[in-house]
Amino acid sequence: MIEVGDKVIGYSTDPGVRNKGASGGLVTAILAAALEKGLVEEVVVLKHINEYEAIPIITSDVEDVLASAGSMHTVPVNLAKYAVGKNVAMPGKPCDIRGVIEQAKRNEVNIDNTYLIGLNCGGTMYPVQTQEMLINMYDIDPEDVKGENIEKGNLIFRTKSGEEKGISIDELEEAGYGRRVSCRYCDVKIPVNADLACGNWGVIGELSGNATFCEVMNEKGVRLLENAIDAGYIEIEPASEKAIAIREKVNNVMLSMGEKWSEKIFTEIPDGERTQYYMEQFADCINCGACKEVCPVCTCGEDSKCTMYHNLEDNYRMSMFHMVRLMHLSDSCIGCGQCTDVCPVDIPLTTIFRRFADKSQKKYNYKAGMTLERPPFLEVMPR
Amino acid sequence: MKETIYQTICPGCGIGCGLYIRKNADGKLSIDHMKSSPVNLGKLCRFGMKLPHYYAKENNAVNLVNGSSAVAETAIKAAVEILKEADSSSIALLSVGNTTNEEQMAFTKLAATLETIVQTGVSSECLNVPMASLVEIENAKRIVLFIDPYVQYPLIVRRLLAAKKNGASIVAVGTQPLNLADETLDLKPENHDELKLDSESLIIADIHPNSDIMLAKSLLALAQKTYAKIQFMRPFMNSFGTGLSGDQESKKVGLAELLEDIELGNIRTLVVLDSDPIELMPDNEAAVESLKKLNNLIVISSRSSPITEFANVVIASEPVYSKAGTFLNTEGKLLENSGAGKAGVDALSLLNAGIGGKAFTYDEMNYLVLKAIEAQKEKRSVVTECSVSVDGVSSPEIPEGMYELKYLYNPFMWFDQQDDNDFVLLNRNTVRKLGLKKGGCVNLKSNRGELKMRFRVEALPNGLVLTAKKLPVARGTSTIVSMEGC
Ligand SMILES: Cc1cc2nc3c(=O)[nH]c(=O)nc-3n(C[C@H](O)[C@H](O)[C@H](O)COP(=O)(O)OP(=O)(O)OC[C@H]3O[C@@H](n4cnc5c(N)ncnc54)[C@H](O)[C@@H]3O)c2cc1C
Ligand code: SF4
Ligand code: SF4
Ligand code: SF4
Ligand code: SF4
Repeated sequence: MIEVGDKVIGYSTDPGVRNKGASGGLVTAILAAALEKGLVEEVVVLKHINEYEAIPIITSDVEDVLASAGSMHTVPVNLAKYAVGKNVAMPGKPCDIRGVIEQAKRNEVNIDNTYLIGLNCGGTMYPVQTQEMLINMYDIDPEDVKGENIEKGNLIFRTKSGEEKGISIDELEEAGYGRRVSCRYCDVKIPVNADLACGNWGVIGELSGNATFCEVMNEKGVRLLENAIDAGYIEIEPASEKAIAIREKVNNVMLSMGEKWSEKIFTEIPDGERTQYYMEQFADCINCGACKEVCPVCTCGEDSKCTMYHNLEDNYRMSMFHMVRLMHLSDSCIGCGQCTDVCPVDIPLTTIFRRFADKSQKKYNYKAGMTLERPPFLEVMPR
Repeated sequence: MKETIYQTICPGCGIGCGLYIRKNADGKLSIDHMKSSPVNLGKLCRFGMKLPHYYAKENNAVNLVNGSSAVAETAIKAAVEILKEADSSSIALLSVGNTTNEEQMAFTKLAATLETIVQTGVSSECLNVPMASLVEIENAKRIVLFIDPYVQYPLIVRRLLAAKKNGASIVAVGTQPLNLADETLDLKPENHDELKLDSESLIIADIHPNSDIMLAKSLLALAQKTYAKIQFMRPFMNSFGTGLSGDQESKKVGLAELLEDIELGNIRTLVVLDSDPIELMPDNEAAVESLKKLNNLIVISSRSSPITEFANVVIASEPVYSKAGTFLNTEGKLLENSGAGKAGVDALSLLNAGIGGKAFTYDEMNYLVLKAIEAQKEKRSVVTECSVSVDGVSSPEIPEGMYELKYLYNPFMWFDQQDDNDFVLLNRNTVRKLGLKKGGCVNLKSNRGELKMRFRVEALPNGLVLTAKKLPVARGTSTIVSMEGC
């Protein structure tokens, strides 16, 4: 009997999946069971293109699910939009799950039939930059890589010949590599907003590396786990006190590291200089609209409040489009980094949007994408 | 049915940004970003973002014979008949580079059987211009731009901004002030010495069917004289692939010259491969008039466009994103589609066999392409006759009280695609002089008629009006117009 609040350690009963999975293939097995036993019609997973590239797919083919096992730290996508209008189960980093919840708040996702398997997340990296890093910092040919892992603050790459080399993430980030900027100050590391929160923190001893720590967050989580157990796809055991404590400790260390980054990046802009700051930041914008398109919390579609002001004829140096978006996303931006990633002129959009949103979200003690209980505050603020 | 995902490159310009095109079970298209593409790291400009519109089903070409729909076999047969009967000395083939290397190679086979060459729309005087290296832009010390990167080649903006961060000074030679440039100079070619170039400088220009070959030549000469590096951007996804055919030594003429030859009756049969002179020429109407002089027009294309409407035969191939094939981008990088469509090569093979040449397969074409690329690498450094100093790059005299209406070429313009750029750019003096009202319009008049347009204010030189959209009052890339408020 599984109950909400249970913390277990588990793995796939299929040796192939267990071996291929990031830490025991538990997530893959749960997804496969959800699909095969009809809990969902489709699942969202990553289709691997190569070591550094994968693309989200929506599939009802269990083979696709099995092929997707393993964590891809160089795939900084957000999966939230792929769940829109579907009955799916999906894995997701905290930012993926936060995106789904913001979509659900706006009725784009039916949360009752969307199953969310959260993955702890220390951060993602850019694929091209990572390959550069492998050459310059690791002295490894990117083609030779056969897997990566984050352990004890080190980013470890394994080569086809079985060699391993790890360098501390701090050192990599000092050198301008490592995680995306938004990941460095991201403030949700364990996806407690998902139905299940899975990760390798807290998996110790013999099971280390081939089992997953999993916390059951709600009734849907119970269903997911029981479904997989009943199908014989997974085996689980209760997590020990020690395991729970370690997971908690690592999480706290990561969060305080994030806070330090946050202090470093979000230095206060003096009064009277803010307009200039925003104008300068947006001055090179080429109006491609990609930042809106990829935003996992944006639900307005093509004709929306911001695009109404999105006209090349506009004489304003800073497009009204951005001004509307800054306002409009201040209660929903989750800092996922997608906008920065796609900006063709490298505007650090996430930092700009977080700078704007942080103040109001803090003021209302509101963290976007964490729970359906709190509606977007701009919609419910007293007049 | 599952959705299909194609890995491809954007057809908007020669940069060749990588992306995915997703096609869902209902045939609806969407784009996805391919962050591992070293060319663009998943980033796309507004043209790339609008590819689902560009590739919309209604824009796909269909097989036609004399305006009526036909099956592919009938269309190919009809084309064979035309080519068999045509006088081979009056046949021309045109492909500017909007398709794969393999189709391009197959087209040259057809040309060889017809004892002619494939025209690319750019004069062979300037065909072998040096490629660009996008990474090199980031390391240059002084960059002189003869293009507007924001509008024309948006994905080099980030490279230029990176160069700036690395300490580069950037000068824009042009009319529209660029945010990233330290200064904008409206310089005539005879004053290019003022640019103070040296071996650490980089000139970025572009070359396309409507560019001023004299200017391109003078820039090459300038680079040689000052030891500056020079890079040429190209507007079509496979502009550089058109140079693989191995017939560089043959005489190629500019697009305008080709149309003139049609006007004069020297060319009576035209075969085009994914290239529409009506879209490509600055004046749609004039291009239509020229094409009407043809006896035969055969269009092999993935897109329907103005030219497919009055072609004798249209042979349709699949949309570019779904083709099997490779492309050479502006850096000479070989990029590959994940698609499997071979209808274009197959049709060209049947055409070639039909007129007495050999049939061939996609794989054979691919082999020839890879071999040609190897061969090209060996002689990459050679720059052709372009490197001759030339004086007298034309710049028009503007009569008192009149204005020069100039085209600001961009990917939307090359394909006559809709964008929200239904306005012209004017400077503040002009707005004041004409008493134009905010939110109002300006009436442009030329000897082709008149046109009301909305306007945007930009710091342009006096007397200049810019448009990022083709306008029916324009006669070319530069037209003298008068203007009044409306
Ligand atoms: C980017 C990233 C960073 C992580 N960092 C940590 C960490 O710091 N600490 C920790 O305890 N755990 C972390 N995890 C989680 C951990 O790596 C395992 O995913 C988790 O323990 C489950 O293992 P598994 O074998 O059960 O999963 P698997 O059976 O291997 O299933 C993995 C699932 O994750 C999906 N997936 C893979 N990459 C991504 C991605 N980039 N975005 C979205 N979905 C993806 C796959 O499609 C697959 O469905 C991270 C995971 C990712 C993806
Ligand atoms: S934003 Fe947060 S949750 Fe998302 S990838 Fe980065 S660290 Fe992970
Ligand atoms: S604004 Fe940017 S960082 Fe914020 S949720 Fe949208 S894409 Fe993510
Ligand atoms: S992604 Fe960048 S360039 Fe494109 S609209 Fe947004 S800010 Fe502008
Ligand atoms: S038009 Fe050019 S710059 Fe824009 S996305 Fe396409 S290839 Fe890239």
